[in-house]
Amino acid sequence: MTSHSPMERAPWVLKVENLGKVFGPMDSGVLTETGPEIGTSKSPRTGTVVAAWDVNFEVAAGEALGVIGESGSGKSTVMRAIAGDHEASHGAVWLRTRNGDVVNVAAIPDSARRALRVDELAVVYQDAAEGLDLGVTAGGNVADRLTAAGWRNFAEIRHRAAHLLGRTEVPLERMDDIVRQFSGGMRQRVQLAKALANNPPIVLFDEPTTGLDASVAAGVLDLIRDLLTELGIAAVVVSHDFSVIEMLTTRCIVMHHGRVVEEGLTDQLLEDPLHPYSQRLVAAART
Amino acid sequence: MTTDLVLPVLRVRGLRKHFILHNVDGRRVDALHGIDLDVLPGEHLALAGSSGAGKSTLLRCIYRTYLPSEGEVHLRLTTGHEVDLATLSDAEMAGVRGSELGYVSQFLRAEPRRGPLDIVARAGVARGMDLSDARDAAAIALKRLNIDEALWDVYATVLSGGEKQRVNLAAGTISPPRLLLLDEPVSALDPSNREAALDLIADLTSHGVGVLAVFHDLEAMERLATRVVLMADGLISAQGPPTQILSTLTGVSR
Repeated sequence: MTSHSPMERAPWVLKVENLGKVFGPMDSGVLTETGPEIGTSKSPRTGTVVAAWDVNFEVAAGEALGVIGESGSGKSTVMRAIAGDHEASHGAVWLRTRNGDVVNVAAIPDSARRALRVDELAVVYQDAAEGLDLGVTAGGNVADRLTAAGWRNFAEIRHRAAHLLGRTEVPLERMDDIVRQFSGGMRQRVQLAKALANNPPIVLFDEPTTGLDASVAAGVLDLIRDLLTELGIAAVVVSHDFSVIEMLTTRCIVMHHGRVVEEGLTDQLLEDPLHPYSQRLVAAART
Repeated sequence: MTTDLVLPVLRVRGLRKHFILHNVDGRRVDALHGIDLDVLPGEHLALAGSSGAGKSTLLRCIYRTYLPSEGEVHLRLTTGHEVDLATLSDAEMAGVRGSELGYVSQFLRAEPRRGPLDIVARAGVARGMDLSDARDAAAIALKRLNIDEALWDVYATVLSGGEKQRVNLAAGTISPPRLLLLDEPVSALDPSNREAALDLIADLTSHGVGVLAVFHDLEAMERLATRVVLMADGLISAQGPPTQILSTLTGVSR
């Protein structure tokens, strides 16, 4: 990992600029009829949902940014707009690719976006069915990502897949088992192996441990933490769970009704939340 | 080199902190009412005063665990540049923490499911050491603080309060930062372990680290501090050499 003196920051590899996602007809009134002060993200006049609006942040290599908020706050919308699963209604999602090009994910053709998803940006979803083909073996899921990136030699693909599954602590003897037969925790480990297949500089995590038993979740979290430290990835971690955000990130943003209500260092947001909603969220997490 | 040429590692000016408690009828609590202080390299500045005087709040505002409401917190970096921690971006602040600025609280706040050696070595790596040097230095620090080698790889959550506190101190002082903030770092230690810990802290200042510390016992302050700042109700009420300030306290606090 390259070290930087405190004041020369590593350049961003992901920059989200004025990002917005709106479902339904958009006019100037919709924005003032929604948001945290109003207490809803749905305009009572037009029925338009402002799922996310005016979201801005940058993430550098080796940095993990958290996005926290309750269900419906817009945090997953932001993640899906970055990943290109949803088309953004407004703003830009800039990626600095490995060869130094800067592209706006929100303004490129689907084919180009799919290519980025192969080796520049990977997503680990809460529901493994979104990130994996459950009808295919663990090894086959990882191999799929490798062949998409141009790998052709069977022995090399198998070797690399075995290495990745080993790194994410999937027992080698399960490499040729169908993923549908795997437990929740094991599926997340396969998702991680697949996400990391082509060493993407950016990885997005959407509630990566939500729904897992506590002890299983702890194991997956520890693994993600170690991978982030080891690989120098730029990460965005979306979660409603402060303990996940606290463990994985140094900075975070708090979302409520589609808007960012506060941003700060993660420990500051936990110890000294300023916005009324952040204070409520922290108080709730402490009970 | 004359002493006039030594520039402060920390300059705090007009620092104020208030909290708005939105969950409790929007009540405002004023914790710091305008603090000015300097810490020189190699100086150990002790903060004294009763509970609630604002000592811990001051340390947390400097480390930015609390966001200062007003005022300036200038830290002089290794490069010689000064930055205002009160207004620095979050990402830059995250970079300053570690090699430039450290904080050791009364309680161990380490990542879960890690052992003492790992926790301390990782703190060294975060300050730019390579892993094998960091592990060597961590072992030396843990030995010096009398942490039984049999405990070096067990999860830190199972350690006693005093053991956790020593692990915390070892992690906070490995490859020490230019300015170290200490908040009651020896409060849970028995006399012999306390002795080892105070000795380690004394070593830091002799190697040029600036220390700003809160200890609840006057004896530790007497022994370590080069200067004492007395706080009351979020303000500095007196400051001077330890003998002078602490003698005014002995009648009250002892």
